[in-house]
Amino acid sequence: MLAIKNLNKRYGKFQAVSDLNLEVAEGEIFGFVGPNGAGKTTTMKIICGLLRATSGEITLDGVDIIRNSRRMKEKIGYMPDFFGVYDDLKVSEYLEFYASIYNIKGQERKRITDDLLELVDLGSKREAYVDSLSRGMKQRLCLARSLVHNPRLLVLDEPASGMDPRARFEMKEILKNLKGMGKTIIISSHILPELAELCTSIGIIDQGRMVISGSNEEIMQQVYNKKVVRLKVTERLDDAVLILKEYPFVDKLVIGENTIQAGFGGGDGEMSRVLSDLINRGIPVVSFSQMDGNLEDVFMKVTKGEEEQ
Amino acid sequence: MNINPVLLKELKVRMRGWKAAGIIALYLLVLTAVAVFIIYTTFMDPYSSNIDPQISIGAYTALAVFQFMLIMFIVPALTAGAISGEREKQTLDLVLCTRLKPISIIIGKLFASTSQTLLLIIASFPLFSMVFLFGGISIKEIMQLFGFYIVTAVTIGCIGMFFSAHLKRTTASTVFTYGTLAFLAFGTIFIGVFYIRIFYNWDYNKFLPILYSNPLVGFGSLLAEQFGYYGGINAILGFSAGFGRNSNAANAISPWLGNIIFDLVLCAVLLILSAARINPVGKGTFGFFRFRREKKKKASDSI
Repeated sequence: MLAIKNLNKRYGKFQAVSDLNLEVAEGEIFGFVGPNGAGKTTTMKIICGLLRATSGEITLDGVDIIRNSRRMKEKIGYMPDFFGVYDDLKVSEYLEFYASIYNIKGQERKRITDDLLELVDLGSKREAYVDSLSRGMKQRLCLARSLVHNPRLLVLDEPASGMDPRARFEMKEILKNLKGMGKTIIISSHILPELAELCTSIGIIDQGRMVISGSNEEIMQQVYNKKVVRLKVTERLDDAVLILKEYPFVDKLVIGENTIQAGFGGGDGEMSRVLSDLINRGIPVVSFSQMDGNLEDVFMKVTKGEEEQ
Repeated sequence: MNINPVLLKELKVRMRGWKAAGIIALYLLVLTAVAVFIIYTTFMDPYSSNIDPQISIGAYTALAVFQFMLIMFIVPALTAGAISGEREKQTLDLVLCTRLKPISIIIGKLFASTSQTLLLIIASFPLFSMVFLFGGISIKEIMQLFGFYIVTAVTIGCIGMFFSAHLKRTTASTVFTYGTLAFLAFGTIFIGVFYIRIFYNWDYNKFLPILYSNPLVGFGSLLAEQFGYYGGINAILGFSAGFGRNSNAANAISPWLGNIIFDLVLCAVLLILSAARINPVGKGTFGFFRFRREKKKKASDSI
């Protein structure tokens, strides 16, 4: 659906995005991860026609976004990492204003406004002034705004930034709904575990370059060369470590307070064998499972961090 | 009919509640007070006849000048923050990422910002008709005056929009807008006088072209022409055709008409430049020239 080829963006001598390549398929939720200043927002703004690329090509359904900017804007919904709301408008008026830009009129405009307010759980705030909304509500209103023209591609830049845990949970639920509706979404976030849970694939960008991209599993495989298992015990942690080290397909042990994280080269049969062995030797195992992917670890491993830049 | 969504939204916000109606009422009250004062003092003049066209001319001039000053002072303040204010509120990107063309955004903001002033001008129309009671002023002349007002208000609005689109801060934009207005109103006169003083052989029957850009000269010449008076400020400026059209400069275009033509051209240029500036994927205000330069550079590189 969306294809980015050799995208470059330069501000004077500073290279913000460098030869970036990316493909997002229809219905996919793509998580865009990277440290501050890595080029996430720049890339997203170029996709949405808010910045001019220095070079490169972006196509949506095979049509060049850069050359057909205005036409393609009807297919893209953008939510920036700031509020951007008119405080002196009512919630419904705010959405109706954006609907009117897309030439949505009369009853249809009202229906879309109502539907979107229900979707983002702001139905009861229809007549409230935007000014009176909480930060989380404003973020949800912004999300509703980006959906007003029923875009095929949603670009969400840090949609949960600055939110309290409850508001983050609510936002996550809305995004799950959108995922269920089959929307194609590109989302950037610093809250990595949430991204891992939501996204079908992830790309990690650092210093303007795409360092790694693919499904969660593919990324874990690429980074660790094998799957990662996590073991939790109530006591005898050292004995558990010694037992694990006996197996040639277990390596890269990371030992925590009561946990061990390890690279695991075997299949399900080997996992079952190791677990039986631990229990038979009297290790009090609380849990033993394959990790879905600790994106945070991957992120730290593949990016250099601001201090090193 | 499709009304510009930006204009519609702004009008909805501005006209909400009693504030807008209150401002109009207060403004008309002040204008009425000015007119009544002029008429009353003329009536009280023992040397003046009670039905004297001079009464209407006095009231008309007072109202016209008062309203013109209002446009000169208020419109820059209302328009200079139109785009920079959107930037400060972080709402500009949200409008730019929609299908709306940059020129539509600029025009919507321009008319939204000047709408209040235009409304005040139009609301004062019945008040101006009061001068018909005493004669001396025709409806055509009032229409001319209102036309001149509207063009001047929109032009000042365009200047405000231009700086608002180009400067990040509203304060800077406001300062530059007032500065440009001061230059057009006084700077052009200063340049004109300076020019004449240098070129001693200047034909005093000619109208200095730079003064076509001057809104004060345009406004003054309109009133002077309406009163059939072509002298006045000529003496101050030092050239005979300076303010109104006289027999010696019969071929020259009326200064106020010249000013309107200048304003309309300026508006078109400023609107195009402002739209180019806010277009995120455009080449910027002077993109055309940059494009030519790049093309030349590429051509020279290939040689």
